[in-house]
Amino acid sequence: MKRRNKLGPLFWGSVVFLGLLLVMATIGPSIRHPHDARVGETLQGPSAEFWLGTDDLGRDIFSRLTYGARVSLTVGIVVQIFALVLGITIGMIGALAPKWIAGPVMRFTDGMFAFPDLLLAILIVGIFGFSSAGGILAPLSAVLGSGLTPVIIALAVTAWPSIARLVRGQVATLKQREYVQAARAMGAKPSWLVLKHILPHLWGIILAVSMVDLAAVILAESAMSFLGIGVQPPDASWGTMINQARVNMQAHPLLLVWPCVLLSLTIFALNFVGDGLRDLADPKSEKK
Amino acid sequence: MADSQPRLLLQIGKRLAAGFVSLIFLAFVVFMIDEVAPGDAAVVKAGEKATLEQVQRIRVQMGLDRPWFIRFPEYVAKAATGDFGASYQGTQEPVSKILASALPLTLSLAGPAILVAIFMGLTLGTIAAVWRGRWPDRLVLAFSTLGVTVPNFVLAPILVLIFSLQLDALPATWESPLRAPAFFYLLLPVLVLSARPSATLVRLTRASMIDTLSQEFIKLARAKGVGPLRLVLRHGLRNAVLPVITSMGTSFGFLLTGSYIVETFFTMPGMGFQALKAIQKNDTPVLMGCVLLTGLLFIVVNLLVDILQPILDPRIREAQI
Repeated sequence: MKRRNKLGPLFWGSVVFLGLLLVMATIGPSIRHPHDARVGETLQGPSAEFWLGTDDLGRDIFSRLTYGARVSLTVGIVVQIFALVLGITIGMIGALAPKWIAGPVMRFTDGMFAFPDLLLAILIVGIFGFSSAGGILAPLSAVLGSGLTPVIIALAVTAWPSIARLVRGQVATLKQREYVQAARAMGAKPSWLVLKHILPHLWGIILAVSMVDLAAVILAESAMSFLGIGVQPPDASWGTMINQARVNMQAHPLLLVWPCVLLSLTIFALNFVGDGLRDLADPKSEKK
Repeated sequence: MADSQPRLLLQIGKRLAAGFVSLIFLAFVVFMIDEVAPGDAAVVKAGEKATLEQVQRIRVQMGLDRPWFIRFPEYVAKAATGDFGASYQGTQEPVSKILASALPLTLSLAGPAILVAIFMGLTLGTIAAVWRGRWPDRLVLAFSTLGVTVPNFVLAPILVLIFSLQLDALPATWESPLRAPAFFYLLLPVLVLSARPSATLVRLTRASMIDTLSQEFIKLARAKGVGPLRLVLRHGLRNAVLPVITSMGTSFGFLLTGSYIVETFFTMPGMGFQALKAIQKNDTPVLMGCVLLTGLLFIVVNLLVDILQPILDPRIREAQI
């Protein structure tokens, strides 16, 4: 039982890494503009001016990596907020609404959960057209920047089911608890029950699952950018950087290695933090 | 026991109905691409120089001016007979022809990849469970953590860097015509594609095997003097494999979308390659065909898994309904 408070070095290492990433994403792109192409200084090695060298267009790799971090984190967090709002609402409906509403809603959620994310995302990008920011999406694009909007919508649509299923399962057990029953017997309204007695118990586990989901969203964004249907050039994203680095892979493997390493480390770190938080929030779920 | 047969049939019928509903839903979402996307078949047919009136006339001729709830059943009926319309680009090839040439390539990636994943998952997962907590277990767990977290578009360039560019042993991209047996071209893509499903199946097999090996009937078998190999393979694995089969449907989904990435990386003209080309060229019918066929494959495989489950596992057969 003592293990409850014990978070390993992997957890703290991951937290430190994510903190550094956040700092990098905030200040990195302002040190040097990621689109700033230097003619005659293409594919340079690391130097005092270009910390990690330059790419095939003479752009600073370090600055593009930090910009990629900014893109990934922005997309990830915005999508996760959408997913949380949608997922918690739908999960609550699934657990608390009458059966004839909850049944079909959860069936739909299960279907969405099982369906391959990337295929759905490709479909949605296909619907909205990845370059067009006008039309229905104009107000959103104004806030988020035109390049990211289709990606964010596509990923938000695919990201909520895991949260919804989690919330439904947790609420279904919580509402059987005696203190909730007691509150209900005393005449508490359903909205009061949810806000005061059920939701406060869920934040821990929701936060833990959000971290793991955030990793999945960042992965999906990179995959879409890699495929050319996510973040569009000249904007930098780890996925587009990996895609562009393939051309000069043989002569300049480092161009490929940096975004790969950063992306993999981020996914690792988010998963470890998620696992650690889950153990804190729900000691019973600890691995065998 | 006598009524278990009709129960099973009822279950299968239910699954089939659910699969059919998912399919119609998918077709509807795919159909909506065409509704929302700019341009339609009439614009393409009229050609670039046509006036708005000419386009409108052709639209009426083709019946595209009718409301969606009339055209959607038509679309489904046509798609059911394999008619997905014609590409907007180039020679306006029928989509079915493009799909017919792309599907075998995608299947020749996904098929071997799922076999590799099953093999790796079962062997490594069993090894990890038997030597639980000791070095083989740790090694396998480290490997599967890597497999789950390293994305396939990161793994692909790393493997190409090693095997194609440094060792010069395998081709880095698909070529047409192929200059070596297809096997050599498929080796790296299949390996990359199978990494993630392998890793998930390893974890699942390990957990399921640990669970099975701790049960009473295993103790009984051991007490009766069953040898360790037979105990693990015949008594353990046979039971542990059931949850693995359940997860196969989801794994196959990963494989299908993973093949989109792998095909793009290795420039193999499979379904994913065609779908992404179609997005870039606004070639809506091709995109619709690719997504519909991929979704169909996914739904059918999941249906098969769902039907297979109660047939293989009497406990599920009895528990449900």
